[in-house]
Amino acid sequence: MAPIWLDTLDETARVCAAHSRTDLVRWLLQKREQLLDPTLRVLVVGEPKQGKSQLVNALINAPVCPVGDGLTTAIPTVVRHAESPSAALVHEGDEDERVPMPVTDIAARISATTPGRRPGASEVHAEIGVPRGLLASGIVLIDTPGADGDDPSTGSGVAALPRADIVVMVTDATRELSVSEINLLLHIIQSHPRVVVALTKIDISPHWRAVAERNRDHLASAGVPAALVPVSATLRLQAARTNDKAVNAESGFPDLIARLKREQGSKGQVLAPAAVGLMASTVIEQLAAPLRAELSNEDSGSLHRLYEAQRGLDELRRCSTRWQNTLADEMTDLMSDIEYDLRDRTRKIIRKVDEAFETADPLKTWDDYQEWMEQSLTEAAEANFAWLVQRCDWVTGRVADHFVRYGADILPEWRAGIPDRLAEQLEEIERPSVERFTPVQKIFSGLRGSYGGLLMFGLATTLAGMPLINPVSLGAGALFGGKTIRDEGKSMLRRRQAAAKAASQRHVDDFFLRLNKECKDTARWVQRALRDHFTGLTEQLQEAIVHSLRSAKQAADADALEREQRRREVQQQMRRLAALYERAQALTELGGAPGQRQRRLEPVG
Amino acid sequence: MTSVLEESVWRLMHEALDLYHDSPAAADQLRHHLSRFDEPLRIAIAGPWQAGKSTLVNAIVGEEVAPIEVPDAEQVFTWYQDGAEPHATAYPAGIELPVARTANGLRVDIRRWRPAPVNDLVVTWPSRALRNATIVDTPALPDAGDKVLRDADAVLYLTRDGRGTDLEWLESAQDGTVARAAPVNVILVLSRADEIGGGRIDALLAAKQLARKHHRDHHVGSLCLAVVALGGLIALAGRVLSDRDYSALSTLARTPRPELEPYLLTTDRFVGEDFPALVDVETREDLLDRLGIFGVRLATTLIRTGTGTDTRAGLAAELVRRSGLSELREAVGRCFVDRADALKARSALAALEAVLRTEPRPGSEKLLADLEHTLTNAHDFRELRLVAALQGHRIKFGAELEAEARRLVGEGGTTPTARLGVDPRTNPGQLWELATGALARWQEQTEDPLLSLEQRRAAAVVVRSCEGIIHALSS
Repeated sequence: MAPIWLDTLDETARVCAAHSRTDLVRWLLQKREQLLDPTLRVLVVGEPKQGKSQLVNALINAPVCPVGDGLTTAIPTVVRHAESPSAALVHEGDEDERVPMPVTDIAARISATTPGRRPGASEVHAEIGVPRGLLASGIVLIDTPGADGDDPSTGSGVAALPRADIVVMVTDATRELSVSEINLLLHIIQSHPRVVVALTKIDISPHWRAVAERNRDHLASAGVPAALVPVSATLRLQAARTNDKAVNAESGFPDLIARLKREQGSKGQVLAPAAVGLMASTVIEQLAAPLRAELSNEDSGSLHRLYEAQRGLDELRRCSTRWQNTLADEMTDLMSDIEYDLRDRTRKIIRKVDEAFETADPLKTWDDYQEWMEQSLTEAAEANFAWLVQRCDWVTGRVADHFVRYGADILPEWRAGIPDRLAEQLEEIERPSVERFTPVQKIFSGLRGSYGGLLMFGLATTLAGMPLINPVSLGAGALFGGKTIRDEGKSMLRRRQAAAKAASQRHVDDFFLRLNKECKDTARWVQRALRDHFTGLTEQLQEAIVHSLRSAKQAADADALEREQRRREVQQQMRRLAALYERAQALTELGGAPGQRQRRLEPVG
Repeated sequence: MTSVLEESVWRLMHEALDLYHDSPAAADQLRHHLSRFDEPLRIAIAGPWQAGKSTLVNAIVGEEVAPIEVPDAEQVFTWYQDGAEPHATAYPAGIELPVARTANGLRVDIRRWRPAPVNDLVVTWPSRALRNATIVDTPALPDAGDKVLRDADAVLYLTRDGRGTDLEWLESAQDGTVARAAPVNVILVLSRADEIGGGRIDALLAAKQLARKHHRDHHVGSLCLAVVALGGLIALAGRVLSDRDYSALSTLARTPRPELEPYLLTTDRFVGEDFPALVDVETREDLLDRLGIFGVRLATTLIRTGTGTDTRAGLAAELVRRSGLSELREAVGRCFVDRADALKARSALAALEAVLRTEPRPGSEKLLADLEHTLTNAHDFRELRLVAALQGHRIKFGAELEAEARRLVGEGGTTPTARLGVDPRTNPGQLWELATGALARWQEQTEDPLLSLEQRRAAAVVVRSCEGIIHALSS
């Protein structure tokens, strides 16, 4: 009858196959073969320069692994029993390729003289066969390169882990276990039920007992169920030289060897069940993780879409309030701004007119003036209108910003334009009634002025005995006549200027009134058009979202049904896994691995 | 030459002070580094946990002053500086701590500052070894790494075996413009050399060979100025060997070898009840603590076979000689103390760079450019960089020329005679001849069209060094 652990292992493999995890199946089958094999594969790991190779040498009392100052093991070395010493270099691959070589040459291949440099050949390992009783009893030793660094899951020592039944972790007694060593141990116990910590070099450390005690504490507090064995390779080799039993006992190696032999002897009864228990637990954890994730993942796609659609609808509602507010606010601003701008421009024109007619004579310059006036008003109208159009575009943009998330094609297709005949809508400025200063009027005024002067000076000169009409009085008359004509002309000019100013004022006011109306109409029209456009857009969007909401709801309903089915399936699988896990746990307890993690696998739901 | 560098660093620092006068943190830091110019060089002893840092501090000082036990594994830097009277101050609180002199060193009462947090502990201790440099005992790496790089001018990096993780730290120490442009300031110490090969009697020799091998390795060679093997315990034992220890050791040595040998095999046997020599258990435990089992083996062998080791002083000197401490002292003198000004300038520039990069403001760009200019033009730095490049085999000349180049740029010391590789008592005329000869030889190299650009540049640096020698000789 097959042992109970084999049943569990096969069952686990079947479950893995059912979950189509061929990688796990392959691993389990490899392990199965390995566990059925009565030999005990002992992996020796640890940080560099702790005495791993020396430990292997001392275990079998033969210098098979190169040791020495600055020598570092570079490739894993498998030491097994052979009738006569032999050595080979094995290139791993689909088909292992063995290159036999003399025992004397293999050391050079194993060791690297420069620490910290690892040749990129982790797929190579050395095999050495030596005739030794310990090995003949079915123990295979594997020496590995040192695991350097903080990450325990790298390094070729760790890469060799799957091939091992039991792991001996080597640390020297000159210092306590470091954090990285503890991490390495924690990594190892995930896959190996049996770990031995060998405390080497106790011969040179005066305080090795204290270190051992501290290390045991460290192991206990980290939860590593490993036995600690203090050993001294120096003593062991000395004992071998002198054949001294007492020294041998003192070296601690008999204890270590006894442990290994015990493990090997009870491999089928104790080690294998424990290993299978651990393996099955690991495998089941791996299988259960996605199932559990699937169960706990309530947010299925269709439900997600439903929520999404609802969120979209709410968002659209908020958005429509927002854009309406924006439109109203912006348009009010725009109207007041445009009006102000127009007022400003016309005022400037009036001011210029006033300045100009301070000096100019409307009579002479009216034609030029009229042209200028028309031009400035046209300019003002165009600038104002252009600004209006610009602002309208900008407002459109502002409102459209609210719709950015719904896609790019949201701007209305039309634009407010400048009316073509803006200038021609203006009436021509009416010519003010102008009084001309005709020659007859001039003569008349001149005579009137000269009369006073003639008389005044004529009378004065009569006192001197001169006639009333004399050269002096005639001259004065002419002078006075001239002055009166000039004064009359000036006042006529001022009247004309005033009339021109008044006419301009009226004209500009008319212009302002009309254009302002035009602008306001345009703005209002734009506002209306925008409102209509964006209301239409909102309605379209709402329709689309409501449609998707409806379809999402249907999908979610259908999905819920399907999920319930799947859930039941998964639960069933989980129950099966849980049962298997129970068996694995029972095996672990049978194997007596101390301090196993108490994880329970609860079916969800 | 140094004064030029120092001057330009001084000027840069003052410009930076002007720029940052309104930022108290930056200004404090700059002022702090300015004041360091007048202080002794700061050498940090750094390394991973249990690498033997405190043992080395003791061996250098020659008395048991380290470690000062800190409760709760706090990260405390202990500074040992020279002074007339022993006393200790805890910072940042600035509390004076009571100090008691013991037979071999000092004990500091730490209970006083328990309530206040402590980052630094400054111990003043009268010692000739501290005159040229302040020694800093640091907590284990990598936690203390940043502070080590910030506060120390030079680093003695202690390691058991120079593994990958150690080299990683050393590489990370070369980060930043200044650290990359200025030469490395690290000596690698294989600090527990006596444990190599399980404490064989020739362990120290093997360790020295290993150190040489490490130094020849290009990768390691480019990360440190020198690699030294050191038996820390042996060195310390040599420095503090007492008459009582010596008499116990000589009693052991008088015991016939075959009888004694089995008891020196392990520490357990050495302090066991049953022992062939008339040395009581306490004394033996004492010896073991002080020397280690390897030390006991070495000392008894020395006394038994040795010449000149038949007195306490003779044995102590021999232990120190074998431990590698003299090589370490020599390396520290050559690489650190002789170049103290350059190293201090390096620290100041590194601090300046950190300030400029963390607090950029208008004007800091220009200072950064000036800083780089100073870095590339300082001849001291160029010499040290060339030494590193030659050691790392990044630049090659013929064997003879290369040896001469290394010597001339001051790998073996910066005095004219050391650079010229002659006896210090050589008369000036001869020195002059040698120096002008070297100058002409290297000028030729700078113009040799067959050499690569890098080689010619290196040759130009050597020429500049030769000119420096001639300048020193003529003044």
